[in-house]
Amino acid sequence: MPRKNRSVTEILFDWVNYLLLGLIACLMLLPFMYVIAGSFASEAELTERAFFIIPRSFSLDGYKYILSSNSIFHSIFVSVGVTFVGSLVNLLFTVTMAYPLARRDLLGRNTVLNLVVFSMLFSGGLIPTYLVVKALGLLDSYGALILPGAISAFNLIIVKNFFQELPAGLEEAAKIDGCTEIGILWKIVLPLSKPVLATFGLFYAVGHWNNFFSALLYLNESSMWPLQVILRQIVMLSQGVGSASQLDTTVQLPEQTIKMAVIVVGTLPIMMVYPFLQKHFAKGVLIGSVKG
Amino acid sequence: MPRRNSIHKLGGEGVNEIATDPGRTTGLLKARISKSTTMKRLKRDKWLYVLLMPGILYFLIFKYVPMWGAALAFKNYQPFTGFWASEWVGFEHFRNFFQNPDFFKLLRNTLLLSLYSLAIAFPAPIIIALMLNEVRASLYKRTIQTLIYIPHFISMVIVVSLTYVLFTTQGGIINELIFQWTGQKIDFLADPHWFRPMIILQNLWKDCGFGTIIFLAAISGVDLEQYEAAHMDGASRWRQIWHITLPSIRSTIIVLLILRTGDLLDNGFEHIYLMSNALNRDVADVFDTYVYTMGITMGAFSYSTAVGLFKSVIGIFLIVSSNYLAKKFGQSGIY
Amino acid sequence: MNLNKSRRWLAGILMLSIALSGVTGCAANKEGKANSSAGEEADPGEQTPMKLTVMLPSFKTTMPEDDSPVVTEIEKLTNTDIHLEWVPDSSYNEKFNITLASGKIPGVMLVKEKSPSFINAVRAGAFWEMGPYLKDYPNLSQTSAIVNNNISIDGKIYGIYRGRALGRNGIVYRKDWLDNLGLQAPQTIDDFYQMLKAFTTGDPDQNGKDDTYGMVITKFNGPFEVMQTWFGAANKWGLDDTGKLIPAHTTEAYMEALRFFRKLYEEKLINADFAVMDSSKWPDPIVNGQAGALVDVTDHANRIEEKIHAALEKAGKDDESKIFMDTIGAVSGPKGLRALPTSGYSGLFAISKSSVKTEDQLRQVLNFLDKLNEEKGQRLAGNGIEGRHYTFVDGNLEASKDEALLESEASGLNQLLMYLPEDRTLKLKASSVKQKSEAVQKANESIVVTNPAEPFVSDVYSQKGPQLDVIINDARTKFVVGQIDEDGFKAAVELWQKSGGVEYVKEINELYQAASKQ
Repeated sequence: MPRKNRSVTEILFDWVNYLLLGLIACLMLLPFMYVIAGSFASEAELTERAFFIIPRSFSLDGYKYILSSNSIFHSIFVSVGVTFVGSLVNLLFTVTMAYPLARRDLLGRNTVLNLVVFSMLFSGGLIPTYLVVKALGLLDSYGALILPGAISAFNLIIVKNFFQELPAGLEEAAKIDGCTEIGILWKIVLPLSKPVLATFGLFYAVGHWNNFFSALLYLNESSMWPLQVILRQIVMLSQGVGSASQLDTTVQLPEQTIKMAVIVVGTLPIMMVYPFLQKHFAKGVLIGSVKG
Repeated sequence: MPRRNSIHKLGGEGVNEIATDPGRTTGLLKARISKSTTMKRLKRDKWLYVLLMPGILYFLIFKYVPMWGAALAFKNYQPFTGFWASEWVGFEHFRNFFQNPDFFKLLRNTLLLSLYSLAIAFPAPIIIALMLNEVRASLYKRTIQTLIYIPHFISMVIVVSLTYVLFTTQGGIINELIFQWTGQKIDFLADPHWFRPMIILQNLWKDCGFGTIIFLAAISGVDLEQYEAAHMDGASRWRQIWHITLPSIRSTIIVLLILRTGDLLDNGFEHIYLMSNALNRDVADVFDTYVYTMGITMGAFSYSTAVGLFKSVIGIFLIVSSNYLAKKFGQSGIY
Repeated sequence: MNLNKSRRWLAGILMLSIALSGVTGCAANKEGKANSSAGEEADPGEQTPMKLTVMLPSFKTTMPEDDSPVVTEIEKLTNTDIHLEWVPDSSYNEKFNITLASGKIPGVMLVKEKSPSFINAVRAGAFWEMGPYLKDYPNLSQTSAIVNNNISIDGKIYGIYRGRALGRNGIVYRKDWLDNLGLQAPQTIDDFYQMLKAFTTGDPDQNGKDDTYGMVITKFNGPFEVMQTWFGAANKWGLDDTGKLIPAHTTEAYMEALRFFRKLYEEKLINADFAVMDSSKWPDPIVNGQAGALVDVTDHANRIEEKIHAALEKAGKDDESKIFMDTIGAVSGPKGLRALPTSGYSGLFAISKSSVKTEDQLRQVLNFLDKLNEEKGQRLAGNGIEGRHYTFVDGNLEASKDEALLESEASGLNQLLMYLPEDRTLKLKASSVKQKSEAVQKANESIVVTNPAEPFVSDVYSQKGPQLDVIINDARTKFVVGQIDEDGFKAAVELWQKSGGVEYVKEINELYQAASKQ
């Protein structure tokens, strides 16, 4: 990008832009800072102070609890595994389906697309889906967390749209070279679609990471639970199911600081994915490689 | 062997002229289509069909097989009794739903909230993505990007509880500041007028950063030479954004917009439920919360399926018509 | 473990390939699965331990596994081979319904409330009626008639309830503030009002600042319902002069209570943001020294006391002998001392017919539940194993400090406690506040106002109940904050009547008459 000849308005534009973005980022960050501060604060301080981003007293109680809990540790591995494998399965299914659908002259294409759009709006509901998963023998297996959501119709349509916009000339050339469509997809289309793959890989990964409901429905064994089931458990309980009178005397509520610590622990791993994918969002990746 | 795809151009222009249904194809394509028989085309594209197969099977097994569940709307389904043994009640659930004196209030609340959020929360990530795209300092850009997408991982329960901490009239930091400046307090959480702005604000906070990702991916497809050429011509940054960047993500925006219209009647149950209270319920009650309060005792399944069906029909109608409109205006649509 | 998992994976991939190879794979498999699940629980015979699956809510992050020491001990005690199916509490209802729908119902499952799907399943014959059997078991035979009446469906008992104190509701307040002000514990509603007034205006913390208020209330409707009872309003349903049941909100006593609440709000004796305040933050203002009282279960007294001490200890200013909190059961109103009871139970254990097929097996399961209530059973479930999870130091119980050990082996099992006929678990040495709270709850039992309609299953309510409740509860809040006046409230009551209230009243009275004839 040429940087010479920058006019005053250009410089002003940049400054205002940088400032605004910085401001937005701060606004986004402040509440999260409170969560982080809270995870290091003592229970007493959390009760006493309404909002703070620097704890007065420093306490590791929340993290100590997490470290001492086998199940939280174990569940992080489960979550990482399911997220990784699940996202790969998602991408595989989505890409293989989106690519043919991006061909406008494919016979039956519209029927399939209608099928997809329709399924986005009409769903059979919880129990019928559960019964299908059960009939397939997926209950109490991690497959139940991956297969029933193998393709998101929403993502499929957008990926299909991205494919549609790829320059067709390349495929022509490959076709003449004797590649099959599968070969074209693998050797030409996918390498050109890195930003798309990164984007939807991330979307799927985040979806898997945040999903607690499938695990709850399909996994009866508590030893198989991913992190989000446990996280939600802690958050919902400490958020007050209503009042103490609705609660049982035998139930001890988790402490606020544990809640904050668990949120931090539950957010960090998936946050670390983004910087790795970020280079694929760099400007001009796609076109550059087309020309090169 | 010449293929129709060769007409495709970057940016989607020209693509739109091609009708999607082969039967209605016009112009230069018609001749070619009529020559190739169905069998020939199937044979030519056999590998494409192989690729398509797993996806189709997925949709059939996990989406279409369970769809018999839609029939629950016409039954009084009880989990233990099971589907077949539950009694048929015909349109009773629909009647209950439509004849409910609050129906129009619910419809109004649902639509208003959706439309406001469409008007504000939908463009926000686009604007931020455009702003980010103008940032040259890559470290700054990456930092901002990472920071603004954190809130997406905070669950709604937490967002609502943070909102209470910040906005309450009883010592919330924001109201304290407002009080110092104006001598008054604003009851953000109970005043019905503030309900929709608060919901949209929370949605913005939580998701607008994350929403930029898809647009940034689309922008990454822009040919850098176009910017250089524009720069040579002396085009200002505004003009570059307007004439190069925006058109390049136009089709993504339109597809997302069309898909978004399909769930205009969805407001996100948990969020609304957590934010509603005795004083704002007149504006806070939407279809999703209504189904919850009603369904919880009414045999949630049949009743919520009925309301769900209603929402689906409206959703299909909205998607199909917005897609039709998009095509009519020469955009690519979702098909 | 790992082998198991990879097998599951293999199974998953296999299933996928079957699914991909043809649509028939789905139907064929349904039968296979059904067959394999049928035989699972069937294992009669006196000697061999009975196989039994128990579904319970979990409140912790780690739950005891089936082969953990305490579970093994419980199995030995009850001659069973149990499998515990834990479900996170926050999603228990969804899982409950799914389980009913799946047809594979665990032998014993905790039912949290008489929900429509439970009632329906009962009526469809999913669960054993156990009323006639209870007399044969030493502990189960001592269940309370009042509570059994509350849990009954169409007059029959379909579960063993987990007993809880009836008289838990009361007033919790800052004793040190009261002492600072030189006041006595309130006896009457007016005393209570004077106490709140003094907490608000009399500088009860003696810091010279006007920074306190009387009572903290949250979004939750409970406190209003408790206070209404003091004014003579019925517990949801009361008898009028003609012997008919009428809903509480149509009575003058109820309006009287409303005016009182409004006065509290207008004079700023309660927090202005109560309509939006999250219940999880309820005790915080009292711990922080902002508010002086709350009305809810008296158990709060001890929890708040502990929190205040913990906060002071952090600041290095704690005086262990100082007592901050006190609690009383109720204050007297026009009809004397009255307290709002809890339902007296916290869920019930139902026994499914699909897993427990014969009467013999039913007796074995009842035996299991009965044994759990023996002293040994209760202590295993409530305390764990001596020497491992607790010890005695100078005759005083001391729980293990190893939080992780407790969670992975013991804590969650307290969900098995039914306390029938009484709490037989070992107790930590109770603080004086805790003892007071327990005494108050015991004393309250004689002044609780029962809801005569509690056992009835109303069709109207199951159609429109929540909507009806919301109308009245919202109107009450709006009245308290001054958004509507008495006419406005009356309009809400009319709306209630039009929205199905009339039919509801009629139906409840029919059920009441039918029940009292028996």
